[in-house]
Amino acid sequence: MSGVVSAMTGPRRDPAVADRLSRRRRRMNRLVKGLCTGATLVGLVFLGLILGTLLWLGFGGLHWSVFTEATKPPGSHGGLLNAIVGSLIQTLIGTAVGTPVGIMVGTYLSEYAAGTRLGDAVRFVSDVLLSAPSILIGLFVYQVLVSPFGAFSGIAGGLALAVIVVPIVVRTTEDMLRLIPVELREAAVALGAPKWKSIVLVCYPAARDGIATGVLLAVARIAGETAPLLFTSLGNLNWSISLTRPMSSLPVTIYQYAGSAFEDWVQLAWVGALLITLGVLALNIVARVLLRPRR
Amino acid sequence: MTSTIEMSTVAVHSDAVLAEPRIRVRGLDFFYGANQALKSINVDFPDRQVTGMIGPSGCGKSTLLRVMNRMYDLYPGQRAVGEVLLDGANILAPGVDLNQLRSRIGMVFQKPTPFPMSIYENIAFGVNLHERLSKAQMDERVEWSLSRAALWDEVKDRLTASAMGLSGGQQQRLCIARTIAVRPEVILLDEPTSALDPISTLKIEELIDELKQDFTIVIVTHNMQQAARCADQVAFFYLGELVEVDTATQMFTAPKQRRTQEYITGRFG
Amino acid sequence: MPGTTDHIVKSYDNELKRLAALITSMGGMVESQVALACRAILDRDTEAADRAVAADPQVDALEREVEQFVIRLVALRQPMAQDLRLIIASLKMTGDLERIGDYAANVAKRSRVLQQFPMPYTLSGLAHMSRLVQENLKLIIDAIGEADAEKALQVWRSDAAIDEIYDALFRELITYMMEDPRNITPCTHLLFIAKNLERIGDHATNIAELIYYADKGEPLIDSRPKGDSSSSAVVRPRTAEEGGR
Repeated sequence: MSGVVSAMTGPRRDPAVADRLSRRRRRMNRLVKGLCTGATLVGLVFLGLILGTLLWLGFGGLHWSVFTEATKPPGSHGGLLNAIVGSLIQTLIGTAVGTPVGIMVGTYLSEYAAGTRLGDAVRFVSDVLLSAPSILIGLFVYQVLVSPFGAFSGIAGGLALAVIVVPIVVRTTEDMLRLIPVELREAAVALGAPKWKSIVLVCYPAARDGIATGVLLAVARIAGETAPLLFTSLGNLNWSISLTRPMSSLPVTIYQYAGSAFEDWVQLAWVGALLITLGVLALNIVARVLLRPRR
Repeated sequence: MTSTIEMSTVAVHSDAVLAEPRIRVRGLDFFYGANQALKSINVDFPDRQVTGMIGPSGCGKSTLLRVMNRMYDLYPGQRAVGEVLLDGANILAPGVDLNQLRSRIGMVFQKPTPFPMSIYENIAFGVNLHERLSKAQMDERVEWSLSRAALWDEVKDRLTASAMGLSGGQQQRLCIARTIAVRPEVILLDEPTSALDPISTLKIEELIDELKQDFTIVIVTHNMQQAARCADQVAFFYLGELVEVDTATQMFTAPKQRRTQEYITGRFG
Repeated sequence: MPGTTDHIVKSYDNELKRLAALITSMGGMVESQVALACRAILDRDTEAADRAVAADPQVDALEREVEQFVIRLVALRQPMAQDLRLIIASLKMTGDLERIGDYAANVAKRSRVLQQFPMPYTLSGLAHMSRLVQENLKLIIDAIGEADAEKALQVWRSDAAIDEIYDALFRELITYMMEDPRNITPCTHLLFIAKNLERIGDHATNIAELIYYADKGEPLIDSRPKGDSSSSAVVRPRTAEEGGR
């Protein structure tokens, strides 16, 4: 209390030094700003090139038959219908299986396992899985679901995608639940609510937007995955929606067509790439709208 | 103009003698892990009167509040030893049904905590946990509790609107309504006005004065004037100990302990 | 100041010090006013009487200043506990001091009237009473400054002696008046003077009670031995009168 020095009597600063320091700071500021802007421009240029090529080549091949015809042998005006439907089915399976598991694990981590060793272990494994190469997941599912049954299948592809969905949803669910103020849970508990009711009836609604965003991002991610499908649903050049047989998908079809020697197949690969990009873009936009703070 | 009206409606609480205790705390120790936060506390909370708990931050007053509805049970490593007797029964005993206990001892928090649902659903949430009411009965309960919390007139036309759209003071009154809708016997208030403006604060204080006809109220506050305005009994805590407890009048005019005196008069070093 | 530690807000301490200073200076002013008034009667000192009367407006002004200051303190600081007691006690003390000043002025005015009369008897009783009253007043004003409840208690207890002397003076003066009707005018004035001194003593005991409450937090209520029986003594001169017949 006694050491208060008033501004009037306190030590003065030397204006010359202050001026020099200020000029140096401004120079440094300009330099850093210039470097950052430059890096951003380089990134944007390449992004623009990629998108430009995609739009140029993709829109060129866009035709109604893309959505009405299945893939056909080269030169016979095929479409991508089986790939589109296959991608939708497998993405749906992946989301439908992965989301509940992910939400439950995320809830466990946030609400029940905070600070426990098991919780830390689960979180660690989940984070490893989040960054694991997706081809590894494909191999794993191949080993578990394809090899024993001796057949590639749509269901195996969907489940491989589910394995990718889980860690993403786990992380967003846990993060979103942790953002909910402790007082809100306590308020529910203080009214005599058992813990599960406070989670389901109070925390989930409060975290709904965030969790939904996580799920949408996971969907966007698996919609473009190729590697896990290569060993699981394999791809199918014929029309098939049987879950127990090989199933086509957009990324795998792109993979197969893009490297082929037939010009119309290469064209279709670009169209497929455009469709995936537009789909993912749409999902991202929806996610952003959901995440936008409401009033 | 409204401010003067509100001020004048804050009833002067009588300097009455303290009522029979509703809750008796006996030899209570509380631990956060190895840290002892409360040291052999003995204190009575008089029935249908307001007890204010004051003291510097970290003195244990909020901890005691959280012992009384066993909120600490949510957190492993927190432990209470001793007795808290509600109508003679020890609520710290093993085997006590916590959900039922919390329906008898309600709690309102520092920050307004409306649930992310409609105003109506906020009230119904707690009631549905303990009772099965018909739609008509629930409507009646919602109106009753909102009226008791002096919020009915302000929200009766938008019961289905989100509770998040209410002002801070309204949200806090909603939380009080939600608590009394369960029809508890005791209401614990943990700094209920610290996030509110002065007029909202006075409305809550007026409400506390109204509610004490039916409920035993315990309020933790950092605002000594508030304790002076609301409380019949005041307890001063310091470093986990109950330094002094007496009628509000005695505490604010002539406390017996030197530490109480220094804290109340703003001399705390 | 009874509080050993300071307030966290220093300016509050300064304000309380200023309040104490105001009360103390008012006490000093009143003390000298009473001394002047006593000298005016006992030494027939006109100049002292004039000064005692002239001091009155100053005392009144101080009282108003203390009142304003206390209202400000209560409104802005919202005092609690010992501070509250001290501030409220100060407010009441200033009233008591002002009354003491009024009584002193009244005594001084009456001393001028008394100058017109020969004093057919000694004023030794009144001198004794005025000495006791001044002693008590000095003690109580010291007690205010030191917030000394023990000193206050001493004043409170010794007021009985003043009341007893007043009682004796009362009888004495009645006797003089009965002896010779020409004594009635000076004796009536003397009686009022004695009464005023007795009231000054009473206000000193009021202040003692306030000091005690401000310090201890509980009122001084055990029944004070009342020495003044003049209110019931109305009967006694009559019996003396009857005895004289």
